[in-house]
Amino acid sequence: MTVPLTGDPLLAAKLAVPCHAPGLVRRPRLLNRLTLGTKGPLTLITGAPGVGKTALAASWARSASASRPVVWVTLDEDDTPGVFWAYVVEGLRRSGALAEDDLGTPVCADDVDRSLLVRLASALELAPPLVLVVDGLDKAPGNAVPEGLRFVSEHAGPALRLVLISREDPPLPLHRYRAEDRVHEIREHDLAFTRKEAVQLLRGQGTAPDGPLVDLLLEHTEGWAAGLRLCALAMARSEDPADFARSFTASEQAVSDYLLTEVLAAQPEPARDLLLRAGVLNRVHPDLVAALTGRGDAGRILQDLARCHAFVEPLPGTQWYRFHPLFAAALRAHLRSRQPELEPLLHRRAARWYAEQGRSAEAVDEAAAGGDWSFAAAQTVQHLLVVPLLAGGGSPSADTFSRMPEDVPGARAALVAAACRMARQDVPGCRSWLARAEAATGGPALETEPADGLTAALLRLLSAPGAADEEAHRVAELLARLPSEERARHPELEPLRLYGQACARLRGGLPQPAREVLEQAVRACCGDAAVLLRHRCLGRLALADAAAGELTLAEEHGAASLALADQHGIPESHRSGAAGLALAAVALEREDLAAAAGHLDHAELLADTRDDLDLLIERSVLRAQLETARGAWDAARTHLDGHLEGPAAASPGPAARLAVAHATAALARGDLDAAATALDQVGTGDAMPSHTVALAQVRAAADHPAQALRLIETAEESDALTVSDRVRLLLLRAHQALLDGHEDRARDLLVQALDTARPEGLRRPFTEAGPWVRHLAAGLDGRSGSYTWLGAPHAPADRPVVEQLSPREREVLQQVARMMSTDEVAAELQLSVNTVKTHLRGIYRKLCVSRRRDAVERARELHML
Amino acid sequence: MDVAGPTGLRRLGERRLPMRYEFRITGRVSEPVSHAFPELREFPAARQTLFFGTVTDEAHLYGLLGRFRDLGLHVEEMRRLPD
Repeated sequence: MTVPLTGDPLLAAKLAVPCHAPGLVRRPRLLNRLTLGTKGPLTLITGAPGVGKTALAASWARSASASRPVVWVTLDEDDTPGVFWAYVVEGLRRSGALAEDDLGTPVCADDVDRSLLVRLASALELAPPLVLVVDGLDKAPGNAVPEGLRFVSEHAGPALRLVLISREDPPLPLHRYRAEDRVHEIREHDLAFTRKEAVQLLRGQGTAPDGPLVDLLLEHTEGWAAGLRLCALAMARSEDPADFARSFTASEQAVSDYLLTEVLAAQPEPARDLLLRAGVLNRVHPDLVAALTGRGDAGRILQDLARCHAFVEPLPGTQWYRFHPLFAAALRAHLRSRQPELEPLLHRRAARWYAEQGRSAEAVDEAAAGGDWSFAAAQTVQHLLVVPLLAGGGSPSADTFSRMPEDVPGARAALVAAACRMARQDVPGCRSWLARAEAATGGPALETEPADGLTAALLRLLSAPGAADEEAHRVAELLARLPSEERARHPELEPLRLYGQACARLRGGLPQPAREVLEQAVRACCGDAAVLLRHRCLGRLALADAAAGELTLAEEHGAASLALADQHGIPESHRSGAAGLALAAVALEREDLAAAAGHLDHAELLADTRDDLDLLIERSVLRAQLETARGAWDAARTHLDGHLEGPAAASPGPAARLAVAHATAALARGDLDAAATALDQVGTGDAMPSHTVALAQVRAAADHPAQALRLIETAEESDALTVSDRVRLLLLRAHQALLDGHEDRARDLLVQALDTARPEGLRRPFTEAGPWVRHLAAGLDGRSGSYTWLGAPHAPADRPVVEQLSPREREVLQQVARMMSTDEVAAELQLSVNTVKTHLRGIYRKLCVSRRRDAVERARELHML
Repeated sequence: MDVAGPTGLRRLGERRLPMRYEFRITGRVSEPVSHAFPELREFPAARQTLFFGTVTDEAHLYGLLGRFRDLGLHVEEMRRLPD
């Protein structure tokens, strides 16, 4: 997903102020409290379900007392932090407080990265004043949402006024806020109905009880709004209100239980049946309820219930209704006690209704809730929902199917299982489930349905062990056969195909052809739906650039991948380490070991540098190269050894990469046998000149000049030579000429090598070649300025600045430059220690450093301080 | 050295063992509503209902408290029962 906000009234309802309830009591004393509260940064409305929290805030938001624009966000049970922040960003955009380009739309349902909240806070600092109401904060799982709100509230400045509505105290430092007078609280006892309000409420529901009766009810319900409303409902249906009140107060039953049971029992049979059945769902549409109950008059019954404010309330701007949380829990309890077998059945029916409406993602969720995995899998495959599943971030996700048993029959369940494995980067798992899918249909075809064939072909492509251009063409053919509206519904399909083709080419050891496809893929990723995929494509492109020796481009694409992730707040769980690895590779080639280590450290925190075998190999190779450059050869070998027997070594690309890294490390420590053995493990081929070059290096070092020369000539004929291959070949020839006593010719060749390497700032081949380079270069004076750049310190422009520091980050860095500790900086700037640490992390990332001293130095170089 | 050795470990392990709890709820609870707590046994008392049962871990405990709250039930008292 992306969270689809446009066009769906159901989601727009989450950003609307809830409907004005019939018979609502105006409560001026509390409205004034809210007006007062919103003069400060934070207002907290807490209390049990049904005490009238939402009703109060909604009536305040509608009234003139709200002098600032109000942005309202309602949280639902299934809203994860990423979804929540997407709503907040959308709500703020609609109110005009945020411009489209202030920050990107959050694209991962799970979470957002802190970088997005930093941007949000700084954008709000400049925005016109507004009130943000968050209703149902307790429904957000975990502490991520309150933590994020705390960060934004503490950093957005006085323009943002928060109103938080929750059943429980949110995990905010309320004690400190109270001491600093930063919070205004409206708590349960404030919300309890006074006698005057209770009279109004009962009158509004069409009952006019006398004074003693009101007192009795008020005492027994303790001013609980929902309780009073239920009393009114029960009395309106009862012949004798006084009799109801008597039995209510005499009852020993829990108040809510008694009232709910009474009111439910007082409903006519059709309404009661409808409530019990529909109550298993969080929100309902009249037609959906008709499907669940088989009743044609479902719509009318819902309307009646909403009119007398019983159990359901309409969602603003839609035909949908939602259950009051208090009633939903009770209704489910009643259903479970009466007809326990019905619940899964109702979910399955709802799944079918959603499927008929073309809401296939909801159909999958309901089918999963009802345990109907065959239907869930069929919907997922038929409607190509494996595409969002593979492109990441949305719904359905691999988590939706985490409870699916392994023995669900049919090819489609196997295909979905394969896609879930692929989404978790488990390529062998994906392949084995694909085989099961093929076995289930009796062959590799799966051609009966276009969507099935396309899904299978796409998975085959993504899990291909080596270059798989035919599979990519197959996917393209099947894609072309899809109806155009189906294709338009999945804009990620084509980029996903290109991404798969490129990764397969990389695995096949063809970086140059992979780059061409990745460039197309990046261009094909448009819209919020493809942000994650674009981030991944840019990272892989950077890696392929680096493998092709195009260091400048690698740097650009790597930085673009990281910037995109920050722009959209992609959380670490969904970030790809490919870009970081590429930047590390660039830094290594340029002999900037500190920067390489920094990038590697960052990249290693991201899951796909462990789970994705290609990236894992790349990461180990880079670690080995780094250790080799530092002279720690044993350490280098440990990084590589584990992979030689692994499954990744079966693909030509990674195998060659490993072998060359092994050989280079062995050459550096003078172990020619080990170098030769490492290279012998993979067959030579025209496609892999780097392998031939390494082999030539080994032969030359072993004093077999004739063999080395033949290899050099073979390599030079290859049209897949990278810049670094060419530099290495020139250096080999130069060294040979030097050994043969042709010093002038050696110098010519060295100058050529230097001129070839210079545009990309490539330094590593010269260091690796040995000390003779330096001696030979000493005699270059006057011949060329070529050598001077090699020895010069890195120009600042060598390392990319991903983006400018924010004003806050600059402040923090200024304090750090004064040699202050984190605690001191926090005290000085009146921030929490954690906030300072967050800023520091942002600074490190933006400046591509890993320590504070480097950050200060680098910022000075760039005149940022 | 094992200052925090075997005893420390055992204590940690004990904390993770399932615990028996008692919850006292204000008022009597109807049969359907008690179905919302299939893992607990229920005993009526004067103007109260007692729920007993084994609580797997803290997450389960907080989940139970949330369920009481969602149904509008007030927890008057809650205690861990001796093993």
